[in-house]
Amino acid sequence: MAIGLSHYLAVAAILFTVGVFGIFVNRKNVIIILMCVELILLAVNINFVAFSTHMADLPGNNPMAGQIFALFILTVAAAEAAVGLAILVVYFRNRGNIAVENIDLMKG
Amino acid sequence: MLQTISLFAPQLVLAFFASQLLSTGAFAKKDISVGVRYFAVGVLVLYALIGFVLGQPTGTAFKGALIVDSYSHYMNFFLGMSAAAALMFSKSFFQTEKLDRFEFSVLVLYCTLGMSIMVSSNTLLSLYIGIEMQSLALYVMAAFNRDSLRASEAGLKYFVLGAISSGLLLYGASLIYGFTGSLEFTHIAQVVSEGATPGIIAGMVFLLCGLAFKISAAPFHMWTPDVYEGSPTPVTGFFAGAPKFAAMALIARLLVGPFGDITTQWQQVIIVLAVLSMFVGAIGALTQTNIKRLMAYSSIANMGYALVALSAGTQAGVKGMLIFMSIYTITVIGIFACILQMRIRNGMVEQISDLAGLSKTNRGLAIVLTMFMFSVMGIPPLLGFFGKFFAFIPAMEAGLTWLVVLALVASVIGAFYYLRLVKIMWGDENENEFVQAPKTLRGLAVITALLVFPLLLLPMISIPAQSWISQAAASLF
Amino acid sequence: MVVTTGLLFLSAILSWVALYKVGIGHEEADIKVLRWMDVGDMKADWAFKIDTLTAVMLVVVNSVSALVHLYSWGYMSDDEFKPRFFSYLSLFTFAMLMLVTSNNFIQLFFGWEGVGLASYLLIGYYFKKDTANAASIKAFVTNRVGDVGLALGVMTVFLVFGSVNFDVVFNAIAENSDRRLPFLGMEFNAIELIAALLFIGAMGKSAQFVLHVWLPDAMEGPTPVSALIHAATMVTAGVFLVCRASSIYEAAPITSGFITAMGAFTALFAATVALVQNDIKRVIAYSTCSQLGYMFFAAGVGAYSAAMFHLFTHAFFKALLFLCAGSVIHALHHEQDMRKMGGIRKKVPITYAAMIVGTLAITGIGIPAIEAKIGFAGFFSKDAIIEAAYSAGIAGSGSGSFAFWVGITAALMTSFYSWRLIFMTFHGDYRGDKHTFDHAHESPKVMLVPLALLSLGAILAGAVFYKYFMGNAGDFWHGALPSKYGAGHAAIAPDYLMAAAEGSADGYDTVKHTGPFAFLFNTFHGYPRWVLFLPLIVSLSGLFIAFMMYMRGEGAAKHIRTVEETGGGPLYNFLLNKWYIDELYDVTIVKGARKLGDIFWKIGDVKIIDGLGPNGVAAFAAGSAKRLSKIQSGFLYHYAFVMLIGVAAIIALVFRTVGG
Repeated sequence: MAIGLSHYLAVAAILFTVGVFGIFVNRKNVIIILMCVELILLAVNINFVAFSTHMADLPGNNPMAGQIFALFILTVAAAEAAVGLAILVVYFRNRGNIAVENIDLMKG
Repeated sequence: MLQTISLFAPQLVLAFFASQLLSTGAFAKKDISVGVRYFAVGVLVLYALIGFVLGQPTGTAFKGALIVDSYSHYMNFFLGMSAAAALMFSKSFFQTEKLDRFEFSVLVLYCTLGMSIMVSSNTLLSLYIGIEMQSLALYVMAAFNRDSLRASEAGLKYFVLGAISSGLLLYGASLIYGFTGSLEFTHIAQVVSEGATPGIIAGMVFLLCGLAFKISAAPFHMWTPDVYEGSPTPVTGFFAGAPKFAAMALIARLLVGPFGDITTQWQQVIIVLAVLSMFVGAIGALTQTNIKRLMAYSSIANMGYALVALSAGTQAGVKGMLIFMSIYTITVIGIFACILQMRIRNGMVEQISDLAGLSKTNRGLAIVLTMFMFSVMGIPPLLGFFGKFFAFIPAMEAGLTWLVVLALVASVIGAFYYLRLVKIMWGDENENEFVQAPKTLRGLAVITALLVFPLLLLPMISIPAQSWISQAAASLF
Repeated sequence: MVVTTGLLFLSAILSWVALYKVGIGHEEADIKVLRWMDVGDMKADWAFKIDTLTAVMLVVVNSVSALVHLYSWGYMSDDEFKPRFFSYLSLFTFAMLMLVTSNNFIQLFFGWEGVGLASYLLIGYYFKKDTANAASIKAFVTNRVGDVGLALGVMTVFLVFGSVNFDVVFNAIAENSDRRLPFLGMEFNAIELIAALLFIGAMGKSAQFVLHVWLPDAMEGPTPVSALIHAATMVTAGVFLVCRASSIYEAAPITSGFITAMGAFTALFAATVALVQNDIKRVIAYSTCSQLGYMFFAAGVGAYSAAMFHLFTHAFFKALLFLCAGSVIHALHHEQDMRKMGGIRKKVPITYAAMIVGTLAITGIGIPAIEAKIGFAGFFSKDAIIEAAYSAGIAGSGSGSFAFWVGITAALMTSFYSWRLIFMTFHGDYRGDKHTFDHAHESPKVMLVPLALLSLGAILAGAVFYKYFMGNAGDFWHGALPSKYGAGHAAIAPDYLMAAAEGSADGYDTVKHTGPFAFLFNTFHGYPRWVLFLPLIVSLSGLFIAFMMYMRGEGAAKHIRTVEETGGGPLYNFLLNKWYIDELYDVTIVKGARKLGDIFWKIGDVKIIDGLGPNGVAAFAAGSAKRLSKIQSGFLYHYAFVMLIGVAAIIALVFRTVGG
């Protein structure tokens, strides 16, 4: 069985779903949430790269665009992780822990 | 070459000075936050006006990554001005809270740069870069008060949920890329017009959901009340205005650009978002006691009204959205300039009950705030009425009368909490007296109040403004 | 005060000029000020249509209003809300002017409602008095009943003619005279229907029988108000309407007959009630009601000019009577009960003289059947009406002869109650509180000047204007009323009306009677002399009876005692209680309405409308708000969950409807 586009897409979709579920099933640690976010971005990257490599070279289609997009996502994800972790550190300093259950000061 | 530079001169100005200010601030020996703030305000005004100085050139730049048209000129002007206003009203707050750091001004500049890329984006890539640039700055700004638990919690919530929404958006972008073969809006539009596959539609829905988070449309609104409450008040004021407008403008560009030929498909998404937002906003606000939380729900509801205008899918609809959002942004700046004046001797207060008896202790503030309340309620002859008017008429014309009826019902429910505020200000016994507010805040409040009512209604201002907005809306089609 | 009064005097003078110019000089005008409504085919302007009819009304309204304003300076001098009073008065005058100068039904309706509002405000002017509040509500509600008729009438006009402009409508009557319209499940001639509906409005405003109940109660208002609104001007709006729409009534013989009968009956009914009333203002109020009846039956038989003439003269002498009564009341510290008056003529000599003039005018004293015009105002106008009714009767109109005899009877009663008022108030011995009597004083000059001017009007208005209103001197009406010889209207004006209008000698002058009473049966200007003399004779008889009853011997005091001892006869009580109409209404309509209102309130309003409407929505919103606030738990995973559920739901929705 040749591995085609649909397989890649399925993997990406599964990763995406895992990431999404990880966010709201996990109630322990904010770090895990950050990891789940990375999973989602990873799924998207797989999507982009898979589309890019399986794309016919039709006029108007740009096979390389997807891979470039993936690189951009990686870069932005790095920045995002930096910002996210910084905020998390600030939060930890104020709160003393990073349990998701405790982040409910504001509600209603 | 010069031609190309003049096209993206606004973004260039922002990027250059933001980086410049950042490095200056980082290497400065002493605190230069005050100077940086004024400089940044100057940069923002320059950014707002430079398009006009250069004679409003149109075209695409960066090999089609950015598009410059009347629409983006209008948005640049408005975003620059409202960001400058937000920067101005942050001054006294940060100074008295001992939070004043030059990074805030730089963040506002970067955020505005992100927004300006958003509204000029012509490919999915520039769209993503713009959104991320804006969002990352906003995440930091939300948690700007490092020593406050609330602020850091707000930042954390905003960040996590924002990251999820980015994921949704990117997933949608990847699907669209995969099924159309391109990231460019023009090419996507071409493919879509030949027939939209389920993959494209799914991608579009994911994309819209990701963007709906940015405008806090229900059901992607959950972050809004918490973040509004937790963030420092000037940041909340900034949140409520420019970024919402930019995201809304981006949605409009997407809907009539790449997806202009599948109106029936996206229309229902927009309608669902609109109805949910209007009612969640109107009803959720009923039980609020914190004025910033109240403004959060109010903004959710108002995004719903703007979506009503967009749901028509016509040029008049885009124009109605632009008018509505412009007026709403002005009003929000005014309201936050008022909220920032709610300071007693022990510090800031933000409970609605703190406004009790304002009419006796500070009549000027009470009058201005009352005017804003009546404006967001949509009482003629205040501008808010015309905002809603122009927003709802296109939907009526598009045959969505029932949607407009729902919008009006939501408006009526919404009127309750605005009126409650007015009643508290004018009817209740006062408990505490606010300290004299600094001139910048009072000046901003008065200027916006003047705009909301008398000035923008003057024919010599309103007629050119309308034709300008019409032109901006027309450039999308 | 000074401003309003000054301006009103100015406009009064101008309106006399206008009357001169329009009536004598025929300078009619129809000035469109601006377009008011433009809804589909419905177009209405703010406009001033000035023809003789309007000019007459302008003179009446402005003159009386100006004098009443002046009078109020004195009468209201010790009132603490004078600005309110004067602004109401001016509001009224404005609305009334809008009414009479209108060139379309819509503006007329505006003025109509405006005067209704002003009347309501002024009746309830003494807002601390329960009775005043009740009276103002009664006036308002009763007028609403009439207004429904008027509104329906105006709508029907629009339905039939497609326009509300007077000229357009009146010129299109002939071509629409056969149209039929369904109404309340029956089919009517369109013109008759319009006429009847408009008349219902007129009945309400002009206090005709069935809808008259508010007028006597309206006397709760300050006396100048009674003089201005409830005697001279507003209540005549109904008569004005019928005259303005005379083209319609000419084409609606059945309704005209009904108007005649209704007017005559009201004239009689109100006169009988006035016979026994003890409140000085109520006597005059019923008298007004009765005189309005006269005007209506004149209009009903087609003698519009006679109706307008009576309206004109009546305005002067009735305003005079009211202001005199006000002066008396003012002198006696707001005592209105005639049983507690008597013998005050020496205290208030000028008021007494003016009152006598007014009474002579209303009872119609003058010398009939001579060419020279000698007599008080009421003599000419009332006799013109009675003659017109007589002519109509001769010409075969049943309601005409009914009106004639009723008119004569009512004239007898008018004379009786008017003189009774004089005798009880000014003659005999004082029957009230001694202290009050000692302090009784003549009114200040600002009150006496209007009295003098109105007296002048009451004496001269008839004699001077007879030849204009009733004769064809100078073609006074100039086509404003159809009973003239105007070219367009001659065809539809019956012969007898021509005779009545002009008092001409041709037509009925041929038969010469002989015998002892030949003098009486021979005609003068087309009427047997007995017809001309009869009103004067009954009037003098009334005076005689009143004199015998209230002046001879103990006079009034004895009658009052008798009534107190015996409780009065059944007839007396029947009349004193105004035929028990109010009680009848109370039992049927008021109680019924209250029951119905109760049902609507408790079930319709509270349960259904409030329950599902405001309260229901509010409860729903409050409940939803609580639920929403619960969902907003503050937990990240809940927020994320809601978002993802949202995505899933939206995708499901899109793909369900797309079918992809």
